[in-house]
Amino acid sequence: MSTVLDHVAWEPCPFEPQRDRALEAYARRKQRIPNPALAYFAPVPWLARALVDLHPEYGLLLRLDYGVMELVQLVVSQENSCRFCYAAVRAMLWAQGMSRGRIERIEQDLARADLPPRTMAAIAFGRSQSRTGPAGAVAAREALARAGIGEEEMREIAFAVALTDFSNRVHSITAIPSRPMERLPEQLHARLLRPLVKLILRRSRFRGERMPAAAVSIPPHSRLVRVYEGSPIAPALARALEALWASPVLTRRCKLLIFAVVSRGLSCQTCPHEIVTALRREGLSDATVAQVLTHLEASELDPVERLLVPFARETIWYEPATIQRRVRALRVQLTPAQLLEAIGVASLANGLCRLGAMVVDAS
Amino acid sequence: MTRWALFGAALILLVALAGALYRQSRRAAGLRLQLDAATLELQQLQAACSRLAPAGVVQRLVADGAPPSPEATAERKIATALFADLVGYTAMSERLEPAVLARVLNGYFQRMSDAIHEHRGHVSTFLGDGILAYFGAIQPNPWQCDDAVRAALAMRAALEAYNVELTAEGLPALALGVGIHRGPGLAGLIGSRERMEYGFVGSTVNLAARVQGLTRVHQVDILVTEALRAELDPRFVLALMPAEPVKGIAEPVVTYAVKG
Repeated sequence: MSTVLDHVAWEPCPFEPQRDRALEAYARRKQRIPNPALAYFAPVPWLARALVDLHPEYGLLLRLDYGVMELVQLVVSQENSCRFCYAAVRAMLWAQGMSRGRIERIEQDLARADLPPRTMAAIAFGRSQSRTGPAGAVAAREALARAGIGEEEMREIAFAVALTDFSNRVHSITAIPSRPMERLPEQLHARLLRPLVKLILRRSRFRGERMPAAAVSIPPHSRLVRVYEGSPIAPALARALEALWASPVLTRRCKLLIFAVVSRGLSCQTCPHEIVTALRREGLSDATVAQVLTHLEASELDPVERLLVPFARETIWYEPATIQRRVRALRVQLTPAQLLEAIGVASLANGLCRLGAMVVDAS
Repeated sequence: MTRWALFGAALILLVALAGALYRQSRRAAGLRLQLDAATLELQQLQAACSRLAPAGVVQRLVADGAPPSPEATAERKIATALFADLVGYTAMSERLEPAVLARVLNGYFQRMSDAIHEHRGHVSTFLGDGILAYFGAIQPNPWQCDDAVRAALAMRAALEAYNVELTAEGLPALALGVGIHRGPGLAGLIGSRERMEYGFVGSTVNLAARVQGLTRVHQVDILVTEALRAELDPRFVLALMPAEPVKGIAEPVVTYAVKG
């Protein structure tokens, strides 16, 4: 079954999967089905858990229809040329009982605009946010409003798009093998287990419940998290960010620099002030921060930062094979955990800057 | 007897109908396959087009089914223009056989384009032996000046390597002149109804071309303007050149040669 991403070159993965039974059990408890790709991220626990916890399907959505969300994920993965995530969404649709012919027709409908206007608006929003980023946020927001999509649903669509952007980057940049996922619907054991998987998937998906507003302070993303107060997205996002900052693999300063570079590359208005303040607290002068943001280099940077600051910029607009070759080259100079954490931080920064532009700046 | 004849006729009619239905379903399946292939091709084309023009322009092109009006796509942007030209091309073109000349030129264009793409530039057009490239015109790029100069240095290195190959074949070595300038311009779909492309036009591009011409005057290979130098990483090694008058600009233009 040929797909639109068949022509996308995909390099071999430079990371080895690591068995982590606690992580496997955690993912199975939450998603009910095994997720073999998580083993690649085991050296960085917050990243592996964020991929599970921030998945909108499991208790994070109050309003957005799951069918629309899946189409948004499909189109965003297509825009980001993520063969792994694209194949994963297709496999999920197939496992839920959709025939391969029907999936192909849906993909064609995505291009032919035969879907309901609200669905089309959500899909167009996903496309535009993946292609133009914060620059197109105001226009994208207006288009959703014109289609009759309310504020809360709009925020959930923006979250689904941002988290798919995050997931796409994590899986593309690390070159997680996509063939097993692409071939899944052709395999006999998968066909035999399909009714069982369909049942499990139906039972594992669940709607979120309103949460009491809680004081959240996770600079540099406090404003962003506060926008989701009352939604289960807020605590999930807050937990993921807390775990990211607490992780000892890269220094807090290095992670802040990655966020700062991505935010500048996307002309983000939400993050820079809080990030620069946090960098100042880490001992970097304003002149050094300006030098890093203008030229991606400064004499005060340590050797790891010197490698990762220019790399962060490459995660904003990329072609999979090019960035995968770049990661392979960096793999010689950094430990797997350092490189995986840098990819995770840069990927989340890309998702959150796009999200911030939609739900904080443009609102 | 009549009953058997009627039954036979009905059977023949049924078989004919079934045959027609079967042919029709085969034809429909064939058309469906063609439609699928065309849709797939369209989606791949759309993805490829996203690299040649900003996403918004491509979306409008696809949605409208025809090029949008230039007014709809035009916007003012600050971008960096790089203009490169082969030094001594005319003399060389007279000496070499057309087939050899074409091979040498294609090898040159490929290497220069690779160097530009590697540093996030977009080759807009080949003008004879010249190359016009932009940085920051299609996607926002706050690091466009550093990228353009790095691309020029990569072009210099790629040409040196290419010259080793050419000399080994007994062919003349090539020399390059590059002019780079940053400034405002009009970005959008530009051209005729028959041939339209996403471009960046204005005095910024003209000045980059003029500065490229000054490489002959100053006997250097890469020159940048003062406007570009102001945004450039101070770690680049530059040498100030004497101000020179250029066509279309009132004041003599100050340039800097890029050493490394």
